[in-house]
Amino acid sequence: MKPYEGLINRVYEIFSIVDSLPERISDEELEGLLHVLPADMRNTFGAFFAPHVRPISMELFGMVKKWLDGAHETKRSGGKVFLVPFNFLPEVIFCFEGAWPITSEVLSSLGVMALEGQGERYWDYAMGLGLPDFACSANMIEVGSALTESDFTPDAIISDCFGSCDINSKTHEFLARYMDIPLLFLEKTVDNGERGVKQYYKYFFKLAEEMEEFLGQELDEERMRRVIGNANKASELYWELWDLHKFKPCPVPNLFSLFTYAARFTMWGTEDAVRIMQTMVDTAKERLERGEYPADREVARSLWTYTSYYFDMGGLFNWMEDNGITHLGDGLDLYFPEVVDLTSRETMLTGLAEIARNMPMTRQMGANSMSVQWLDDVTWAAGELGADCCIYCGHHSCKQTWSSATVVRSELMKRQKIPTLILQGDSWIRRMTPMSALQESIEEFVKNVVKQR
Amino acid sequence: MRTLQCQSTDLFTEYVRDWKEKGGKVLGYACVATPVELIEAAGILPYRIKAFGHPDTELGDAYLARFNCRFCRSCLQLGLEGSYDFLDGLVETNGCDHLRGMFENWQHVKKYDFFHYLKVPHFLREDSLEYFVEELSLMRQAISEYFGVDITDEKIMRAVDIYDEVFAKLKKLYALREKVPPAVTGAEVMQVLCTGSSMMGEDFSAMLDEVLAEKAGASPPDYKARLIIMGSATDEVDLIADIESTGALIAADALCFGSRAFWKREGESADPMQLLAERYLGYLFCPRMFTEYERRRDYILETARRAGVDGAIITYNKFCDLHGVEAVSQRADLEAAGIPVLVLEKDYGSKADTGRIKTRVQAFLERLGK
Ligand code: SF4
Ligand code: SF4
Repeated sequence: MKPYEGLINRVYEIFSIVDSLPERISDEELEGLLHVLPADMRNTFGAFFAPHVRPISMELFGMVKKWLDGAHETKRSGGKVFLVPFNFLPEVIFCFEGAWPITSEVLSSLGVMALEGQGERYWDYAMGLGLPDFACSANMIEVGSALTESDFTPDAIISDCFGSCDINSKTHEFLARYMDIPLLFLEKTVDNGERGVKQYYKYFFKLAEEMEEFLGQELDEERMRRVIGNANKASELYWELWDLHKFKPCPVPNLFSLFTYAARFTMWGTEDAVRIMQTMVDTAKERLERGEYPADREVARSLWTYTSYYFDMGGLFNWMEDNGITHLGDGLDLYFPEVVDLTSRETMLTGLAEIARNMPMTRQMGANSMSVQWLDDVTWAAGELGADCCIYCGHHSCKQTWSSATVVRSELMKRQKIPTLILQGDSWIRRMTPMSALQESIEEFVKNVVKQR
Repeated sequence: MRTLQCQSTDLFTEYVRDWKEKGGKVLGYACVATPVELIEAAGILPYRIKAFGHPDTELGDAYLARFNCRFCRSCLQLGLEGSYDFLDGLVETNGCDHLRGMFENWQHVKKYDFFHYLKVPHFLREDSLEYFVEELSLMRQAISEYFGVDITDEKIMRAVDIYDEVFAKLKKLYALREKVPPAVTGAEVMQVLCTGSSMMGEDFSAMLDEVLAEKAGASPPDYKARLIIMGSATDEVDLIADIESTGALIAADALCFGSRAFWKREGESADPMQLLAERYLGYLFCPRMFTEYERRRDYILETARRAGVDGAIITYNKFCDLHGVEAVSQRADLEAAGIPVLVLEKDYGSKADTGRIKTRVQAFLERLGK
């Protein structure tokens, strides 16, 4: 494989076109653009440039471009780039000078959304090495590219999936060894009680020390304050957006669920993430005032209990909206961010540890009981947001959620009196279950179960 | 050995029945990170949960999913259908995500009065070891309170001594298998280990004396090649027997129902809790320990060399994340060390796989020129 064929490098190239797009792209210009784009990319761009989300999509693309630029710039200037999973806080890395996060699952998702042939060639490469086909595509696509040794390379990996996801931890352990780069790690103690939390904080502080050592610098309080201050603002906006979801019909476009965690998992702690969150809040407020909803009426309000599907954005998020099915968010939005006390290094690190402990997956799957914590969170969110149904995407690699899905479904019915649709499909690989089959199941579920209630 | 043969595929063995009839308590556990010494020190029989290739999974499937390892689904099936009703409680460990799911569902349905979750860190460092010491103390306290027994330091140290004896005898048994010509087969060794995993250490030790005496001069049928086997937790004596029926000898193993459960259980501390933590967390040769690949690799290579193997079989259950990923590095490192490798992904307990497995092993033996 040539360097320009690496996933990160290709995605970076694609996102450079963002610079050449006009700030306000017209329908005609969009038409022209879609016309020249290859089919896979056309789908994604078509979804993101639907009129009701177009301005914010432009902003999001700009943020992603900056994020990718940042990684390259950091490398060029002799800094260190950390590859992290989605449940690690990027703001921790931004607290250091000359350090930059790139996020495995986000890169895989970008590849799936923006590249011709999606992420399949990288997945195939990983399988060719003998990695198992039941591994998580959210990582394996990015990792497959990294394994070709012709893509952009990180300087170290931080894994904080110990305790919450075996396959994620194992994949990054493998990659670090293969690439011969350090693996820093953080374990979730599978215990949300006082003792488990105390130990988790201990591990978190230890990781911060190891990062200081690796980077050869001490955390600077002023810088921390600035970065975490930005994260705090974004967190407040998260809750504003959360509250806006409660209106019926929901004024928050379906895609915002994805945009929220796109910001969370990449640039949280920067002004860009604050800006994106602010624009989302403003857009939803305007829509609320105007009483706008994409379909004639809101037919169903669905909460996705874990991941969504990312291999066909137009096919899912906007299709649901067109059919009056609101996507109130998914499990990756369930991280309940708190505002961190900026008084001292100690308070800031403790605040970060607390947030890290509650990141999606870490919080639920790294709990004493996966099913209990997951159920508690979903039940609470469904009640708060007025969901009338839940959908579990059944990503084939999430063995932990699959092993709790039945209990969660039946208990949700008892506690919230809402049904759950259990689907089966890989969220990042289209080969497993085609979008049309998934749509059909959702349609039938809404028609025959949700609407009949 | 004949008694052993049936004991090693029965769940509710004569031994366990006898134990229960005498009023003994039995605690089920699944993972080798569980310090059985602590359970024994309470006078309770530690019983390692097995499925023995049990093929049905309908009940297990109703709670777990087809994306979960079938070993766990089979164990859950047996738990839910009542085959494990003789247990007086369960000790969960976070061995892997599938096992966690199995325990949660089992407990959700059966609601054992005694259910303890032993949280095992995924790495070895001073702070994780300290945490594990506390975990062991909590387990000691939970057992002691619920069963109303005093688990004294002396009782724990006595259990440690007994298990040291057991481990030493198991090493002798392994030596009988490793020697040329061998005195015992791979399938027989697994029978012994499976049987012992449902016995009190003292009785297992006595049984090992008999086995060692009986086997010392035995000569199993001739074989074509000496192999080491490693991978997922498997109690499938049949699988080993099937492999050996092709003319291979499983001369060594790095299995969880095998050498990984006992080969190195060392510790220096005089404090029993600290000692157990060192023995268990310190020597957990399992891919769940995410930062210790090199130690596992060295252990496997050392074992393979000692047994003078011609090749290696890496086997893992479909959907087993830990062993599935580990297999890639293991294969590369074994091959780099000049040991040819066969990687066998299989469905746990599936009889339908038998023919395919035998064919692949036969082809492997041919590849080895045997
Ligand atoms: S929780 Fe699921 S989606 Fe997330 S990394 Fe693990 S397997 Fe993949
Ligand atoms: S075989 Fe793998 S998935 Fe199954 S219990 Fe063992 S480690 Fe877990």
